[in-house]
Amino acid sequence: MDLFLQLLANGLVIGTFYALSALGLTLVFGLMRVVNFAHGELYVVGGLLGWSLTDLVGLNFFLTLAVVIFSLAVGGYLIDRLLMARVRGQGEEPTILLTIGLSIFLTNTALLIVGTAPERVVSPFANKPLFFGPVVITQSRLVLVAISAALILAVHLLIQRTTLGRSMRATFQDSMAAQLSGIRTAQVYGFTFALGAALAGAAGMLLGSIYVAQATIGDVVSLKAFVVVILGGMGSFAGAIVGGLILGISEAFWGGYMSSGYVDAIGFGLVIAMLLVRPYGLFGKHAERA
Amino acid sequence: MIFERNCLWGSLAAALLAPLLFPNQYALHIGVLIMFSVMLATSFNLIIGYVGEFPLGHTAFLGVGAYTAALFSSRLAMPFHVAVLAAPLVAALFGLVIGAITLRLRGPFFVIVTLCFAEVLRLIANNWIDLTNGPMGISGIEKPVWATAGDALQQKMAYYYVGVLLASLSLFVAYRFVYSNIGRAAIAVRENRFVAQSIGISPFYLGLVTFVLAAGIAGLAGGFYANYVSFVGPEVFGFSFMISMIIMVLAGGKGTLVGPVVGAVIVVLLEEYLRDFKELRFSIFGLIVMAVVLFLPRGIMGFIARRHESYPRGATGDA
Repeated sequence: MDLFLQLLANGLVIGTFYALSALGLTLVFGLMRVVNFAHGELYVVGGLLGWSLTDLVGLNFFLTLAVVIFSLAVGGYLIDRLLMARVRGQGEEPTILLTIGLSIFLTNTALLIVGTAPERVVSPFANKPLFFGPVVITQSRLVLVAISAALILAVHLLIQRTTLGRSMRATFQDSMAAQLSGIRTAQVYGFTFALGAALAGAAGMLLGSIYVAQATIGDVVSLKAFVVVILGGMGSFAGAIVGGLILGISEAFWGGYMSSGYVDAIGFGLVIAMLLVRPYGLFGKHAERA
Repeated sequence: MIFERNCLWGSLAAALLAPLLFPNQYALHIGVLIMFSVMLATSFNLIIGYVGEFPLGHTAFLGVGAYTAALFSSRLAMPFHVAVLAAPLVAALFGLVIGAITLRLRGPFFVIVTLCFAEVLRLIANNWIDLTNGPMGISGIEKPVWATAGDALQQKMAYYYVGVLLASLSLFVAYRFVYSNIGRAAIAVRENRFVAQSIGISPFYLGLVTFVLAAGIAGLAGGFYANYVSFVGPEVFGFSFMISMIIMVLAGGKGTLVGPVVGAVIVVLLEEYLRDFKELRFSIFGLIVMAVVLFLPRGIMGFIARRHESYPRGATGDA
């Protein structure tokens, strides 16, 4: 029973982190329908930028987080306006290829600059363990879970309650109608991609303080993020959280009770099963197939 | 159609004569890689160009073919031709199962779910150590008699011509398929799914036939590759083969049979040429990929075909 509780706690914590790392993709893939294979690389860039500013420059953690968010937002906006805007409306192939090209470029340029060594973001939170009955969680992980929950909530409110959020939803439902009612759709696309990139970078930096920031992990991050988004349903934030938690918990239990070798296959198996049974995910709303 | 056929015959002639111009081991090695890539690109192109879906996990079939050939020759001690024939058959079987599941989905869902299958297969190859030897891979795959006779140059030459044979076989099958009734129906589905359905074409069935054929060709390429490098590891399921495949087909021009051939030649030569740039080469490669998407959206053959079509039909005498 103790093992069960501990695995459940681990699963919940890791699941929240999965939800956090997939948050940017929920916007870009879930809402905008851009199959963004550079998501993991933006995460990596965020992590590496966070490491270099906190560890090499010695900047404050939260100041660094602000810098990371700002620079990735600018980067994301530029990527959208200079690259994505040119292939918009041509189906998914050009975007997939474009983001794959971008991810190859980012990964290998990062490798050239910082090398293959795993680096760690300097964290202000103590790594001391906290005991809740039989369950042990480190303090830093608990703080990060809280920060993740706050970020997810903030983005949810942004999408549901603000004018920008409303124009985003309008644009991705019917960009022509949105344009006719006076929304600058080109700007909206740019801002959404910028927000997605900023969230990916923030996740990379936050999780880089617990795990590692490494140039080569981008592919894995992208794949897991796609798994989370599809499990939860496209563009649904509640779904992203649930998708992340399902993935985290099933991986934790599989790793704890079964073999650890196939842990990474769980997510893919879940996605295959999910797309067969409910192609729109647990929380997806649409009935037609895209 | 005639333009395309002439281009293919021209490529075959060039492929047969090329060793006379460059009779050295390095050039022949590149030639073998080109033949392998032509098979892969042709296979990928059948799905992306004629079904119109984007199978991001197409390396699944390359890997299944490679492992089948490796296991047949190392575990069962089968000769080369049996192993290389078994590879496309087993891969096609996998294609049938995976296609039957994935072709019910479309767009981004199809993209991700095919990728999931490739990843699951990669993890199995990595973890089922009794069968696949795990991350160590299967090495020492026995080479056929013709590949061990003579000096190193003659061995490479033999592999090259077997490669040309298999690649032309793949292209011949693809050509007959594309210009058959099934191929025309597939194009109808790609152009307008609903019109095609309204005249009695079943998109799912057509997609599945094409998927199985493409899987078989990818398996053939995998079997040939396994025997040529005489080693197979889990990285045959990896993303790097996928990336080269995509770039070959989209740079060459999808939906044409010549395009992937041109793309394969260009990508293999480009990868070799970029070796001079050492670590910088992958970054440059990424930039080239983005440039192709932005500036050559229909690929090189798409560009040439448009030029070709723009001539008045009667004047050139071919229609």
